[in-house]
Amino acid sequence: MSLEPENLSRRNWLKLGSCGFGSLALAGLTGQGHAGPQTPRAPHFTPRAKRMIFLFMNGGPSQQDTLDYKPKLFEEDGKQGKNKQKLLAPLWKFSQHGKSGLWISELLPHLAKQADHLCVVNSMQTDSRAHPLAIPQLHTGSFQFVRPSLGAWVLYGLGSPNQNLPGYVTIKPTRTFGGPSNYGNAFLPSAYQATRIGWEGQPVKDAKIGNLSNKEAGPEISGKILDLSQSMNRRLLQRSGRDPEVQGVIDSLNLSNNMQEAIPQVLDLARESPETLKLYGVGGKDTDDFGRQCLLARQLVESGVRFVEIANSGWDQHSALDTALPKRCREVDQPIAALLIDLERRGLLDDTLVFWGGEFGRQPETQILSGKVAVGRDHNAAGYTIWMAGGGVRGGLVHGTTDDLGYEAVHDKVHLHDLHATMLHLLGLDHTKLTYRYGGRDFRLTNIHGHVVEGLLT
Amino acid sequence: MAWKILLHEGGRCLSIGSACLLLLAAITSKAQESTPESADPELSPDKDKRQRHWAFQPPRSAGAPKVSNTAWSRSFIDSYILAKLEENDLQPMADASRATLVRRLYFDLIGLPPSPRQVQSFIDDPAPDAVARLVDHLLASPRFGERWGRHWLDVVRFAESSGREFNFTYPHAWPYRDYVIDSFNADKPYDRFICEQIAGDLLPEDAYEAAEDREDRLVATSMLSFGTKRHNSGGMAYRMEIVDDQIDITCRAILGMTVACARCHDHKFDPIPTRDYYSLAGIFLSTEPLYGTIQQKYSNNPTDLLPLGPKGVELHAAAEEHEKTVGSSKKSRDEKKTELTKAEEAKKEVAKRESALEETAKKEKAAKKEVDVKQVAEKSPDAGPEVVEVKEAPPEQSTTGEELKKATGERKALEEKIARLKTELAQLEAGVVELEKNRPARPPYAMSARDRPDPADTKVAIRGELSQPGDLAPRGFLTAFPAPDVPAIDPGQSGRLQLAKWMTSRHNPLSARVVVNRVWHHLFGRGLVESVDNFGITGTPPSHRELLDAMAVEFMDDGWSIKRTVRRIVLSRTYQLNCATNEKNQKIDPENRLLWRSTPRRLPVEIIRDAVLAVSGQLELEPPAGSPVTALGDQLVRGVDTKKLQPPSNHRSIYLPVIRDYAPEMFDRFDFPSSSLVSGKRAVTNVPSQALFLRNSEFVAGQAKHAARRLLADSSAADDAGRIDLALRWTFSRPATAEEREEALKFLEQIRNPGTEVDDRDAIAWAALFVSLFSTAEFRYLVDIGE
Repeated sequence: MSLEPENLSRRNWLKLGSCGFGSLALAGLTGQGHAGPQTPRAPHFTPRAKRMIFLFMNGGPSQQDTLDYKPKLFEEDGKQGKNKQKLLAPLWKFSQHGKSGLWISELLPHLAKQADHLCVVNSMQTDSRAHPLAIPQLHTGSFQFVRPSLGAWVLYGLGSPNQNLPGYVTIKPTRTFGGPSNYGNAFLPSAYQATRIGWEGQPVKDAKIGNLSNKEAGPEISGKILDLSQSMNRRLLQRSGRDPEVQGVIDSLNLSNNMQEAIPQVLDLARESPETLKLYGVGGKDTDDFGRQCLLARQLVESGVRFVEIANSGWDQHSALDTALPKRCREVDQPIAALLIDLERRGLLDDTLVFWGGEFGRQPETQILSGKVAVGRDHNAAGYTIWMAGGGVRGGLVHGTTDDLGYEAVHDKVHLHDLHATMLHLLGLDHTKLTYRYGGRDFRLTNIHGHVVEGLLT
Repeated sequence: MAWKILLHEGGRCLSIGSACLLLLAAITSKAQESTPESADPELSPDKDKRQRHWAFQPPRSAGAPKVSNTAWSRSFIDSYILAKLEENDLQPMADASRATLVRRLYFDLIGLPPSPRQVQSFIDDPAPDAVARLVDHLLASPRFGERWGRHWLDVVRFAESSGREFNFTYPHAWPYRDYVIDSFNADKPYDRFICEQIAGDLLPEDAYEAAEDREDRLVATSMLSFGTKRHNSGGMAYRMEIVDDQIDITCRAILGMTVACARCHDHKFDPIPTRDYYSLAGIFLSTEPLYGTIQQKYSNNPTDLLPLGPKGVELHAAAEEHEKTVGSSKKSRDEKKTELTKAEEAKKEVAKRESALEETAKKEKAAKKEVDVKQVAEKSPDAGPEVVEVKEAPPEQSTTGEELKKATGERKALEEKIARLKTELAQLEAGVVELEKNRPARPPYAMSARDRPDPADTKVAIRGELSQPGDLAPRGFLTAFPAPDVPAIDPGQSGRLQLAKWMTSRHNPLSARVVVNRVWHHLFGRGLVESVDNFGITGTPPSHRELLDAMAVEFMDDGWSIKRTVRRIVLSRTYQLNCATNEKNQKIDPENRLLWRSTPRRLPVEIIRDAVLAVSGQLELEPPAGSPVTALGDQLVRGVDTKKLQPPSNHRSIYLPVIRDYAPEMFDRFDFPSSSLVSGKRAVTNVPSQALFLRNSEFVAGQAKHAARRLLADSSAADDAGRIDLALRWTFSRPATAEEREEALKFLEQIRNPGTEVDDRDAIAWAALFVSLFSTAEFRYLVDIGE
């Protein structure tokens, strides 16, 4: 059979179901009869995580100054590095945290208290040390071709639990370096692209999802409009011998009604307690915006959104490492720690996969750009750090190592494709089986690469 | 960077190769699971068997099959369809009503709803050739090209920006869009249409050819130039990336073959050796795509463009000449500026020296005075120690005066020079301003392509790695499909002309079949071959192979005419069936593959939008001149306000800017395909975000208001019941039923709240009715209307 773009009616979903998707898990939280592209589908095997929050640190955070502790780099400060520049010792102190004794720098005091939740991978590698290529690769697995994003693959593979909400949401994505293709669907049906809230640079409190209410008519008339449409649709349904497409329109109109009620509720921070708002740093000088993003992410996944990405920009410290990096860390440290605490106390952390990372990391050497006085570090794709927490990953773990100075990964290297394979695995999807036929070939997120990193799993 | 990408290219190719292997493994293991008898021989990698794949045989017209119901068929198309229906014990459903048919034809052929008057005249036309006359009328409409041109733009991934990581605007891509629309309207023979797009610049000059036609075939080659590109890349890797895209696009769009697989290894399924890929690559490497200047950061490979219009070349030359003059006058201005700065600095130096000398002179004068005083004071008993200093006064005091004089002279000379330079600079500056103000008008431009000055064969890159050259692959075509009528490649040319001739040769088994199948796909919602872009071994087998072949042969015999192919299909009885179902048929063929009825089809997003604008009376049918992207100039899309990327427009949807990754919101909601990828078949989804768009968007609300105003101003409707009727005729091409009328009246009554501003409430109520109609299934699906 063909998996090329098809009329995604119930019939076709059943067809897909017979071809490696397992049985069709009909009726999500809403109990609707019509199966849409977002209808939950059984994973390939029992998942360890049911949903995912992707924290994208745009620019490439410095691992030497945050999570990859390199005592030797302190000793060798100022000595000639193996590239062109001198070695630069981390500018901040490291200490051990939690029962696990994870080394974390003083830039991340809140996160440090969550050390035992963190599954840190210090031996990450990716294929390009240029933002324009590395960002699309992080999001789509490829920088050579236009490919579906990770979230689109997940939504295609699993559907989403709540039909009243979009299954894949991205908050404040960047318009640079691939822009919307980083949350796009490429050759998958467009229903799998993310619903966007705001753009990079816009305060999240001003960002909105469009078309959630009829401003011209108001709610009462809007309701009558819907009733009239549905009445006509039902008559057409009779007239057409219960055509599944007409049923699909009826269902999608009903769902839209649920959606326009549900989304504003989910996005409303006012229903959170003052204590929670404070926990996330909402209202805080540095933490307000990212705190809101983290809180929204929790609200969305809690309400049944399958995949949420939130972003913080400005991690590209070629200069002003000493001032800009602490600022970035202040912005995200407390909100992220709050997210982990909040997910845990709500019983969600066990089956929510949280990812933190950038498109690559940074070099142990200093970089002084002409015209700049302050120090910085250049890009590093050969060794960098990410962490995951929650569903199915081992907390308090450090996986893989870089060399003594942090130039490149040397032990237990994890390529980005491996990370993608592992993420899908945690969500119950076999990255070799999650395929889509386009132009005569079966495509997948990891192309022909990727191995699940068993060491990270509980 | 370029070097880096080069390395990555290698990795990429390996990846593709292995991906193909993986697919092979999956398919062969599937084949092994079945019993040996049922194993599909076409999945075997055996070369001879591969060669026997149905689509690789020349299409043959076998003669219409025998059917028992001889009265049913209207054409050979119907005979083939009916034969399969009878074979499978299926009864075709009844003919569609006149009202259903007229709506179907309007939407399918021109993509606009018929007006109530047009519906009525068709229904009232008793002549047996009424349908044929309507079809001819619609085929002759300039709206036909706007509907059918869009299908082709999907296939060739037309766009007005470069896409990828750095997304640059392509301000001069739009002429190709107009070229495609015009070609469909003119019913340009498809073989000619293809030849123009691949080798329009190389087609022989024709003494009688109109200048516009010559220009058209140069614009046609834009197809080779507006693909996605990394303008920040460079060198051979950059060129190969473009060539790969050109091979992919031409082979998939025209042949339905995925040749790009063969970049790194012989094709795993289809008979395409790697050498063939590089034979094609040689042709395209010998070709220079002309996509524009984009001279700015992150863009390393500017090219020329094609100036348009009868005076395009002259205007372009004059503009370039003028730019040169601007450049050189800027240069002399800058030189003058430098000269002035130097003179001013020199003057400053001299002035400094001068004032120092003045100081010295003053001191000397004072010292002399003191010495005089001292000589007086020596006689005094209160003489102080300074007397000693005075005694040591500088010995050359006599030269200071002269030096000072000289310095003052120098300064004055410099001051004069500066004054002169300032005047000269002001003149030059004014000259530059004048020149910049009086830039001559530039002509419009288009993308295009041309042969490079040094056409050459290229070597096979082993496993796709440019660093591992293998044997030379002489320029040529796919060796599995020889066409003896195609002349050899002229070594002094790229070979695109011969490639185009080969693709459109009658010996080529694919091109005619592929395009006829595309036409079928658009008229039935499914191709006879479902995988419309893939006719290779991994494609889906045809549901009616003999029919497809007969149509392909007829198509070629009949001058490769798209319009006549459309006409043949829509005049068939099969196309004109209604959408009804029955239980027996439903059981035997639930997906209607054998076409026992007409499957209800959703309109594409462009047509839904155009229909809304048609109902509201706001549609501007006059095509716009050019594209708003031209005014944006060369820039990174990310720096442009998203509102400027899609400025308000009431033109037909095909004329909206196509910026990669920034489709208009409605397009994103309703399955507009990625304009970075080949897309012969769009997904059709039914999701709540579509419903939210129709119910709540500013666009629909605004158009509903316009529709309400238009309705209230229409004197042909005397009362509310009449208006409801008219509203439904506009939106559904049919009158309201009694039940609907009643319901709508009640709806209007509830919304008109007596007491407050009656007029306004009335407008709100009617606008609300239109929002309701726009949100229905009937508005966006082609369904049965009833008698």
